[in-house]
Amino acid sequence: MNLTGAVRTIVVCAILIVLHYTLRPLLAWRASIDFLIVALLLGSVRLRPGAAAVYGFLLGLMADSLSVSAFGASALGMAIVGFAASWLKAVFFADNLALNGFFLFLAKWIFDLIFLLVGHRAHGAELAMQIFVWSPLSAAVTAVAGVIALSLLKPLMEVRTA
Amino acid sequence: MASAARLGSRIDAGLLVGCVILSLIAVALPNESREPIASALRRTVVAPLVGLQRGAERWRSAWATSERLQLAQDSLALRSVKSQALQLENDQLRKLIGLGSRLEWGFVPAEALHSTAPSEDLVTTLTLTAGSTAGIKRYSPVVAPEGLVGTIQTADPTMSIAILYTHPDFRASAMSADGAAFGIVYPHADRAGGGDAYMLELRGVPTRVVLKPNSVIYTSGLGGTFPRGITIGTVIQQIATAEVWTRTYLIRPAVTPSRVTTVLVLTAQRVTQGTGNVWGATVNADSATKRIAAAGDSLAKQAAILQAQARQAALDSMKRATIDSVRRSLGAAPLPPLPADSAALRGAQPAQPTRPAPTQTVPRRDTTRADSTRKPRP
Repeated sequence: MNLTGAVRTIVVCAILIVLHYTLRPLLAWRASIDFLIVALLLGSVRLRPGAAAVYGFLLGLMADSLSVSAFGASALGMAIVGFAASWLKAVFFADNLALNGFFLFLAKWIFDLIFLLVGHRAHGAELAMQIFVWSPLSAAVTAVAGVIALSLLKPLMEVRTA
Repeated sequence: MASAARLGSRIDAGLLVGCVILSLIAVALPNESREPIASALRRTVVAPLVGLQRGAERWRSAWATSERLQLAQDSLALRSVKSQALQLENDQLRKLIGLGSRLEWGFVPAEALHSTAPSEDLVTTLTLTAGSTAGIKRYSPVVAPEGLVGTIQTADPTMSIAILYTHPDFRASAMSADGAAFGIVYPHADRAGGGDAYMLELRGVPTRVVLKPNSVIYTSGLGGTFPRGITIGTVIQQIATAEVWTRTYLIRPAVTPSRVTTVLVLTAQRVTQGTGNVWGATVNADSATKRIAAAGDSLAKQAAILQAQARQAALDSMKRATIDSVRRSLGAAPLPPLPADSAALRGAQPAQPTRPAPTQTVPRRDTTRADSTRKPRP
């Protein structure tokens, strides 16, 4: 990835992170959009797996700083998801939008699973409800938002060839 | 090349393992230890994002508050509209109760359901929630506190249908308040829509009788369908017709059909015995007021005449006294006493103390002036 591509990726990720802290509270949906996951996947596919894991770890730590009770859970989840996304980037970075959406869905759901199980945020029926109802819903919404964001930002992300 | 790739993979794996271990340590840290780290992050890297989140939440809160305020405003507006409708209904019911208490007996109260088809421009029929079991028969008069509404066309056991005065088949024998003019009330033939749509015509009024605008028209009781004295409406103006020996007047009905929600249906016995002065009470009150005002005016006039006459009598007395004193001073005989009517007039003024007649014999200074006592020159 050249310098221009790196700058573009950083700008897009920054936009997505800002959206996470502005648009999400404004919408206040029960199954909310996770723009951090979209930013993580978008950045991870352009990094080596190790760097993607560190990127996910830092992004998760940033998210954890606002939820002290589950401090470290987001960092763990995002590190694993980022590493996996970078590992599977050949698949993920296909031109098929539906496939991109599916991977976004999967990434968000796996992240939620790790976050809920490691962070001990819920127990019993509540945990099951969260894992099998709200997390898939949130993952679906995130996938849709991610696909829309990828479509809108595609011109910005494309590497120009002379 | 292969070893470099292997090294890269090992580094990646190492980084992942390192991140996982650090994350697990962060999870396992006690609250006292993790709080300073989280706080440091919140104060530095995450601070702008926290500011953005706070701003977004404020926007959200303002939006929700605005929505709540709008909902409250809408609710208040709806309540206001409902309260106005309730107030109107309350007024109508109060009037109906007043009419019922004045009638005392011989009527059936009923709710009026408007059954006008959407294609119809005019309200011509009403469905009433009382029927023949309550004593309603065909041609029973339907009245409202304001006056005549119509007549029963069909009476079923539990409900009935009434035609209003707007119906083409409606007729009523009518008269003026003083009973000088009689005629038949018909629905207004030339309905231009709008305000004229609900007008009536009073036809067959003799040419010698002229009705003034705003004269109240009542049912005359002739024909036996409607009892005498139910208000029909007020005269607006005369209508030009081809009739030579009769006049036709345009009448504004007392009742507005669209506002009729509750009515009273008069029973046959009540129609036979009449309604008395139920709707004419205001007319009588008006005439009584006029009579009282006229009586007051005549009394005032009489008092003014009496006062003027008394003033004239007093002036006459003074004049006579002056002349007497002059005559006495000149040695002539005084004038004969005042006539009886003048004394009576003076006696009719008890409020003013009677001034004693001038009895002094000594001539006053003004009467002994040289010019007045000077003898005529030879």
